[in-house]
Amino acid sequence: MKMYDMKKMSHEEHGMNGHHHDEPVEDTEIKSWKKRTLWSWLFAIPIAILMLSERILGVSLVPENYLVMIFLVLGFPVVFLLGWETIRGGIRGLLTFYFNMDSLISLGTIVAYLTGIFSYFGFMADYSGVSAMIMAFYTTGKYVESIARGRASQEIKKLLELGAKNARILKGKEEIEIPISEIKIGDVMIVKPGEKIPTDGIVLKGASSVDESMITGESMPAEKNPKDKVIGATINQDGILYIKAAKIGKDTFLAHIIKLVEEAQGTKVPIQEMADKITSIFVPSILAIALITFAVWWYLGGDLSRALGIGVAVLVIACPCALGLATPTALMVGSGMGAKNGILIRKGEAIQTMKDVKTVVFDKTGTITKGKPEVREIYTKGKNKNYVLELAASLEKLSEHPIAHAIVQHAKLKRYKQVSGFKIIRGMGIEGTIGRKKIMVGNAALMKEKNISFKEFEEKIEGFENFGYTTMIVSENKDAIGVIGVADAVKDDSIQAVTMLNRDGYKTIMITGDNERTARTIAKEVGISEVIANILPEDKAKKVEELQKNGFVAFVGDGINDAPALKQSNVGIAMGTGTDIAIESGDIVLAKGSLAGVVQAINLSKATFGKIKQNLFWAFAYNTIAIPVAMAGFLHPVIAEIAMALSSITVVTNANLLRMKRI
Amino acid sequence: MKKIKLLIHGMHCASCASNIEKSLKKTPGIKNAVVSLMTKKGFVECDDSVKDEELQKAVSRAGYKLVGIEGE
Repeated sequence: MKMYDMKKMSHEEHGMNGHHHDEPVEDTEIKSWKKRTLWSWLFAIPIAILMLSERILGVSLVPENYLVMIFLVLGFPVVFLLGWETIRGGIRGLLTFYFNMDSLISLGTIVAYLTGIFSYFGFMADYSGVSAMIMAFYTTGKYVESIARGRASQEIKKLLELGAKNARILKGKEEIEIPISEIKIGDVMIVKPGEKIPTDGIVLKGASSVDESMITGESMPAEKNPKDKVIGATINQDGILYIKAAKIGKDTFLAHIIKLVEEAQGTKVPIQEMADKITSIFVPSILAIALITFAVWWYLGGDLSRALGIGVAVLVIACPCALGLATPTALMVGSGMGAKNGILIRKGEAIQTMKDVKTVVFDKTGTITKGKPEVREIYTKGKNKNYVLELAASLEKLSEHPIAHAIVQHAKLKRYKQVSGFKIIRGMGIEGTIGRKKIMVGNAALMKEKNISFKEFEEKIEGFENFGYTTMIVSENKDAIGVIGVADAVKDDSIQAVTMLNRDGYKTIMITGDNERTARTIAKEVGISEVIANILPEDKAKKVEELQKNGFVAFVGDGINDAPALKQSNVGIAMGTGTDIAIESGDIVLAKGSLAGVVQAINLSKATFGKIKQNLFWAFAYNTIAIPVAMAGFLHPVIAEIAMALSSITVVTNANLLRMKRI
Repeated sequence: MKKIKLLIHGMHCASCASNIEKSLKKTPGIKNAVVSLMTKKGFVECDDSVKDEELQKAVSRAGYKLVGIEGE
């Protein structure tokens, strides 16, 4: 291979332009095995007929002395031409000590083939027909396995092909069509009904509903209006949208998802470690066992031919493939099913850890609630409501906090007051000076710290909290002048998700920086009994650590300020809110920011891990039973080869059966 | 330290993937290597000094073909 090819390939991958190499590779693999299988049987079927009639029915279709010659002639193309890749790989493995599956098969078939030649000299019985049969069955097994493996990765493949190929952009006043790789940030894309949105962007003009199911798993189309974010590869349904491209290439949501899913395949599920260790010493061990078996049978039985046949059976029955495929295939199917439903498994380990989780801890804002608070009530004493709101909004305009945003939105001021000395007091509120007056907006803790009395508002605050409102107290110099009640509505499916988790025996806990009473109201609404309130963002991880003393903890958060807690927990489930996905913090990322995904993620993990266990059990059981049986001389080499091929097909097929599970 | 993705041809079985992992891990400067038979990809963590040619050598030493390299 020339370096040129390598660079070219990597360039294409960087381009993310839809020309993915994965699919052609897989297809050529299946096609190539298919061709070899068909040609192999063209030669192997006559051999099989002759072998069966001769050895079993006792009918000689051709004279005895021609039989071996026919086997050798028909067998040669099967073993050495059609099976050349296997033979070559196997022999190279034997010579370089990088033993593989091919080493076993090639040794088995070559030894068997040679017996045909030796039988001419009267040394031993002929196994040359067997040699061709082994290779034909091996090739067939590989063919079926490659189809099943292709099926296992079908969802992932669909994901890779999801991206749009072309985009129509506005150049001056003209609409021109360009390949997706040439889009630049800021380009205005025109997307007509039924078309794919080329890349992530923001709607400039137009209104439409967009089918985002392929990315988020959400079946209801999302309404899009100007200023809304849209995700590349989703499908525009009714209206024409003018979209400003915001993210391209590797930075798009789809590219992130693909990267996550792909990388997950490169992580290991701990239970696989044992199987991997065995796989790595498997082939040399089998070579030794086969040799010993042959030697013992020859020494004790004195029958060289029989000893050789048994040795060959041992070589070809051993199947490291079933062991090695057990976990990756199930993980592949599981993560593919997840991706289809907007559940992205980042680390294989999470699948195994999930089964031991006892407690599920939820962040409140943005996880249980929509994270889009709205002002519900303003209450003042001695001051005009608008005056208080104006001060609060002018100050909050400078903050990024969701509550700040709610107050600014509610006030809808045309002109904001000049603020100097603005300061954020983390977890408490903000302060600043407006027209020589020191203004503060914050929670009760802030007021207490600054020695500002809000006694006359206490009754009102309690009322707010009983409604589940978060209260912001506004102070002017040293006096509290008003309170603003802000409420964050609970997400539609939060209640259902928590109910299901409670029913399944999980302990559900809500953690929040909010005060106890507000938190309890929200918790009660969704059915969570335990609340940890008044927690500063940085202390969430510590609380998780404490909870871990009583068993494994899954933490569900929106990934931005919850990152330490997501990392601390045994399984971190991050809400991938829209395109600003906080990927690095979670073990599992939910593309759709709903709690129903948590239940699905738990079910999917458990089902996938169950499949992995079944597969590993089967693979271990197969090898530990089949190898001794072959050593004992109970299996004809051809039967041994069929058993081997079936065992790896079984593992891959069983992994595919995971799809039957509803999550 | 850099992360590299490899695209590998010629793997048929689990031993193949494990062989490539072994060979990669033997290469100086490579901290970790995971090869996936399912995606035909290898994920390598290695020092910045590790050259593409060395990765290619490690893969072909185990008897397989490196057809693509993608850096982070």
